[in-house]
Amino acid sequence: MKPIRTYIAACMMAAVFGQGCKSDLLDLSPESFLTNSNFPQTAADIDQMTIGIYSRLQSRKPGDYLVMEVPSDNLFMSSNQSIAGSFELDGLTPEPGNPLLNNFWISTYNGIFRANSVLGEIDRPADYRAGQKDQFTGEAKFLRALFYFDLVRVFGDVPKVTSVLGIEASRNTRKSPAAEIYQLIVDDLTDAAAKLPLQSGIARGRASKAAAIALLAKVQVYRKDWAAAQAALDQFATMQGYDLADNFADLWKLTGEDNPEAIFSLKYIDGSNGHGLSTAFIPNAGAAGIVNRGDEVALPSWSLIKLYDDADKRKAATVTLDYTAASAGAPTIFYPYISKYAIPHTFNASGLDLPVIRYADVVLLKAEVAFHRNQPAVALAALNEIRERAFGDATHNYTAADIASEITFYDKLLLERQLEFAYENERWFDLTRTGRFTQLIREERNYNNVTQTAVTVTLRPQAFMKVFPIPQVQIGQAAPGVLEQTQGYY
Amino acid sequence: MKRTSHRRIMTACLYLWVCTWLLPMAAAAQEAGEWRLSGIVTGEDGTPLPGVSVALKGTPRGAATDESGRYTLSVPPQAGVLVFKFIGMLPQEVPFSSAGTQNITLRSSEKALNEVVVVGYGTMKKSSLTASVSKLENVKLDQVPVGRVESALTGRIAGVNVAQTSSAPGAPPVIRIRGAGSIDASNDPLVVIDGFPGAGLGSVSMNDIASIEVLKDASSAAIYGSRAAGGVIIVTTKKGRTGKPSLSVNSFAGISSPMVHKDWITGQEFYDYAVRYQNRELAWAGGDVTIPVWGDNRRLAQYQVSPVLLNGVNNVWQDAVTQNAPFQNYNMSVSGGTENVKYYVSGTVKSEKGTIKTTGFNQYGIRANLDVKVNKVVSAGLMVNPIYSTRRLAPTSTVSLAKYPSFVPTKNEDGTYPRARDLWGAVVTSQANPMAILDGTQITQQAFSNIGELFVALQFTPDLSFRSSFAGNRNINLLNENVLSYNKTFGKHHDLNAIAGASFQRNTYRNAYMGVLPGSFENDIIKTLNNGIIDPNSTGSTKSAWGLMSYFARVNYAYKSKYLIAASVRADGSSRFGPDNQWGYFPSASAAWRVSEEDFLKGSALLSNLKLRASYGVTGNFNIGDFSWQGGISSTVYSPNNQLGKGKAQTSLENRALSWEKTRSYDFGIDIGLFRNRVNITADYYDKRTNDLLYSVAVPAISGFTGSISNIGDIGNKGFEIEVNSQNLTGRFSWQTAFNFSMNRNKVLNMGVDKEKLFEDQYGMSWLLRVGEPMFSYYGYKAVGVITSNEVLNSGIPLYPGSKLGNPIYEDMNKDGNIDARDRVILGNYQPKAIIGMVNDFSYKNFDLSIAVQANLGATVYNYENQYYQGALVGAMRRDLVKNQWWSEQEPGDGRTPAAALSTLNFQGRSDLYLENGSYFAVRNVNLGYNFPESISRRLRMSQLRMYCSVANLLMVTDKGYHGYNPEGYNGPYPGYNDGTEPINRVVTFGLNVQF
Repeated sequence: MKPIRTYIAACMMAAVFGQGCKSDLLDLSPESFLTNSNFPQTAADIDQMTIGIYSRLQSRKPGDYLVMEVPSDNLFMSSNQSIAGSFELDGLTPEPGNPLLNNFWISTYNGIFRANSVLGEIDRPADYRAGQKDQFTGEAKFLRALFYFDLVRVFGDVPKVTSVLGIEASRNTRKSPAAEIYQLIVDDLTDAAAKLPLQSGIARGRASKAAAIALLAKVQVYRKDWAAAQAALDQFATMQGYDLADNFADLWKLTGEDNPEAIFSLKYIDGSNGHGLSTAFIPNAGAAGIVNRGDEVALPSWSLIKLYDDADKRKAATVTLDYTAASAGAPTIFYPYISKYAIPHTFNASGLDLPVIRYADVVLLKAEVAFHRNQPAVALAALNEIRERAFGDATHNYTAADIASEITFYDKLLLERQLEFAYENERWFDLTRTGRFTQLIREERNYNNVTQTAVTVTLRPQAFMKVFPIPQVQIGQAAPGVLEQTQGYY
Repeated sequence: MKRTSHRRIMTACLYLWVCTWLLPMAAAAQEAGEWRLSGIVTGEDGTPLPGVSVALKGTPRGAATDESGRYTLSVPPQAGVLVFKFIGMLPQEVPFSSAGTQNITLRSSEKALNEVVVVGYGTMKKSSLTASVSKLENVKLDQVPVGRVESALTGRIAGVNVAQTSSAPGAPPVIRIRGAGSIDASNDPLVVIDGFPGAGLGSVSMNDIASIEVLKDASSAAIYGSRAAGGVIIVTTKKGRTGKPSLSVNSFAGISSPMVHKDWITGQEFYDYAVRYQNRELAWAGGDVTIPVWGDNRRLAQYQVSPVLLNGVNNVWQDAVTQNAPFQNYNMSVSGGTENVKYYVSGTVKSEKGTIKTTGFNQYGIRANLDVKVNKVVSAGLMVNPIYSTRRLAPTSTVSLAKYPSFVPTKNEDGTYPRARDLWGAVVTSQANPMAILDGTQITQQAFSNIGELFVALQFTPDLSFRSSFAGNRNINLLNENVLSYNKTFGKHHDLNAIAGASFQRNTYRNAYMGVLPGSFENDIIKTLNNGIIDPNSTGSTKSAWGLMSYFARVNYAYKSKYLIAASVRADGSSRFGPDNQWGYFPSASAAWRVSEEDFLKGSALLSNLKLRASYGVTGNFNIGDFSWQGGISSTVYSPNNQLGKGKAQTSLENRALSWEKTRSYDFGIDIGLFRNRVNITADYYDKRTNDLLYSVAVPAISGFTGSISNIGDIGNKGFEIEVNSQNLTGRFSWQTAFNFSMNRNKVLNMGVDKEKLFEDQYGMSWLLRVGEPMFSYYGYKAVGVITSNEVLNSGIPLYPGSKLGNPIYEDMNKDGNIDARDRVILGNYQPKAIIGMVNDFSYKNFDLSIAVQANLGATVYNYENQYYQGALVGAMRRDLVKNQWWSEQEPGDGRTPAAALSTLNFQGRSDLYLENGSYFAVRNVNLGYNFPESISRRLRMSQLRMYCSVANLLMVTDKGYHGYNPEGYNGPYPGYNDGTEPINRVVTFGLNVQF
């Protein structure tokens, strides 16, 4: 019996301890991805995290028009597509359950989280080259400011998050007044402008000093702080190499991407890192020479098309009226579509850069600031600078009489901004910041060129729609009573 | 003579039919010149047995015993063998060589009670079980023409729901044992093949399976601890037996045909609905519908209808992309052995073409099981099972193939594929020709698994044994298990059985995927990657791993085989959980009382078995990602300076406390045997509660995340299930019925801080997790009518903002005069309320017939698929889905079906309009077999020769309002969401089974 007992004991020992090296079985580390316990460590890691912030903006930007442009009178949703929530924004019946608003909120705050992560980890690496730490800090702050600028314009009062939050903290963070959000944006941009290098010192597609200053000028205009806006514009004037491109149409070509007007654009590569905006507006059957099928999400409103003077070169660069499908031998028919982003491209993966802020904006901001600072001549000159580029000559220039009062000045300015920045997500914000969105009660959409009539819809904008509702999902996820709905929405 | 025997059969049948089994069978008339055999048949206790069947072996001649157990039978005057058969008794063969009297004693078979059941880390007599375990023996299951083992189980076990959610060749069905207890972690059961836990049922051939046991309650499953919350399926493969070698061949081949829709419209009817559709769009846009639909520029191009729709090509795309597909399965096995070495070797080849063209599934497998007894103490064994399979998948869902417009031919004469918009530039879909998609996209999956196991067992003393095994699957899943077992009877009445063991498992896996850029193949002949340009976005590899360290023990004790108790415990440490909570403990306890062994019931003719069972146990669920507790950093892309570069961003939150999901469950059961166990009933009631749910808790997006995997919330499943097995008729015509019924009630019990969570689909339907309601209930608006006219539109009744003519009217639930998100209500649930299965086995002489039916009641399907066939983009249309629609004020439809346009999808999607009753009744399998008589098979030197015909899915009856192909089919992002699954297939096969 005894040998057997020994045998058993040996077996059990072997069984229990022979294999059981705990670290081999229980303390495993992923081999295919990094974790927050081993990342970031070096300056190169911080660089990659900074790229990560851009990546979020780059992926959100092509869909921004659904939230920022669709509510305006520039375009309307085609019956060809059904994107949940888009018809409600198009018809100005936003409600807290709108999935587009929620998605926009989620991706924008995710971008802010990424910026906050960079700012939180910035002191960890010890191997920065000269200027690198300032650059990453500047980029993170620039992008955070940009994200907040979008948030405050869409939602008004929103939670202010400036560091990485735990779950509990995020449940208990209340909204901050829009003014406080604007102050954060101004502070971030001011710091970014101080720390960022000039465009010559940084890759295209990343933020430069000029980008921060230009955006700061725009933010100050939204704040109606004309003096501060002027200061930013004055600072911008010291930046070298920015100007209007000679030909408006060149801005929307692959070859003209790095034009002198591009202060800050998001970069895309056809196929491998492309966006869907070039496909989104192409009619279903594709467009000859552009792409062989389109998404036809939205079509241009006649309200906009009819405003273009035939001599205005921006018209042909923005919309196309006569449409030829991609298939061989397709006839050309009257079927207006948005063609600003229509370049030959891979389906849903276009390489055309998307401008975030371009020099034409700075010029029109200058006009607005000058008007308010009682310099109508400067304002007129700036307005006409844009018109001359659009028409190729001075024949369509405005006169001082055209902008005699604030109302007529804004009539002209907003018209010019609408024509210049159509489908660049400026129109709806121009209407809300000036309060004119409440006058948006008729929108002419489909136009029949034979009967020469347009389908007209009646809209019912309400004053509270100046900002959209806080997504219901987010209110539900915050602790009870923490996140309050905007006045006017339930 | 022929007529006589025919009449005799008729008489016997009639008699049986009228009297069932309680009365003796008709006696045969005596003929002159024969030997007369007689005697009395008694049981072991000496009581005479009436109704025992007595037959002359190899002939139809037979008789039955009378009230006093006496039989008399006349036989031809030559030596022969009498066969005595009686329910609950072992059959007995008695040779005779002259006329005369022989008294026979039959021994009780107690077959049902002595049946051995495989449980975790051991086996057990069924009569000693204290837990709820269902066993399915592979009697004819390997003749059921299904692609996967699981499908053959459909409807056969109470409490086990096998749902064939996809009919793609080789697609695994979804198995739920006693309901789903988890939200974000997998609810799949643990599969144990010959002791190897974590295997897939795709890696074993039905031909090689001896039996399948399902451990349903926690007390039996708890020995598998952290992986057992979904239940455990134990597969035991065939082993060699002592005796002369036998060679067995099972082959079957047949045809699968898709069960398809028949109400497609084409030609003029299609054109007329296209005109209605376009006019409706035009009217909504404020246009004049009296303008001709074609060739008049006053009507914008997007509202025109091309006359090409009347070109005479009436192509039903559903039929163009499906086919009747061949199905073949061949298996050969050799088994045998001596006292010391036993072997079983088999090979299986399976080839299945899909009913969606170009799809298919092939599998080649070999299995070898070897058991060696080295000496009195040491024995060893080896199992290897290499299995290789290839699947070709359809590149897209069936709906995106079938929805193509009917005026487009499948193929041009020159071999090119026409597209809809080649025929009509605008308006119609811009999608490529479906046949071009099928022919031109090649997605294949190849899988190779090779589960191998080597064990050494030591029998130290008659009571004490030890088994140590090493197993691996392709060198990446390594398992070492060591189990010490002790079996002893003390005194006369005390039976003790105990095991203790340790198990170590480490799984490392790599996944490699490769793709070429679309259109980059230089020609159509070479389809390997070297002939194309590698697409960086679809090429890569990943690697992952998990480890599990476990210790377990179990004790079973029986007193007088009457009072049974058992207890087990398992401790599991897993790499998948946070360092603060890596170890989990899973205890169980159970008890049973065999009432029928008590003196007051012993020997009862009516109640031959009665057992009461109760159990409690804790199981766990570790089915989450390998490194979910860690804060993962993912790669992102951006292209500064137009150069593709990689960035990094944290994409998941760290949770160091992440731990097991624990399911605590109670089970109360009763086993009843009636009429000498001729009727066996097993019924169970269970109550499961899953705590510390592994759940991606929604977190405010301002944190940068939308969810974080945490332990939060409770889900409850309560249910009742019953299995009845009955031998209705025995004798020459025999009939057995296996019936099962189960119902499960699922409820969310606790959701932590969230209280409720809503999963919203982009087209408006929501899936709700709310305390007190079943998981994933449909949540949306209740449609109560259609805005049929302008009067209705302007009548001031509450309407959803932006409603127009033809849109649905929703019920204003809160009566506040507005329709908004607060008017949404629960609209149903995807889970069936009851599942019923029944298998009837008949045999007469050499024929046998088996019919398996299943019914599934009370499930609701979100049949979003309908929208594709309602006219949108002038795609394929089904009459049943267009005829009742609101088309105009003049053609308002049935007043319940709204206009279904692409631009109004949200109006349908967020309401109950696409919710359909998913109840069904199905004849899952019919198998008719014929065993050639011994006289023929012996001449062919076979021990058995059998032919059979088997039909799967002979019949599927669904609700009249149900429009999908497969009421169990769903492929959308949420449960019950059907976005266009495949048709189910009727498979007819003929098979041959030969044994030498």
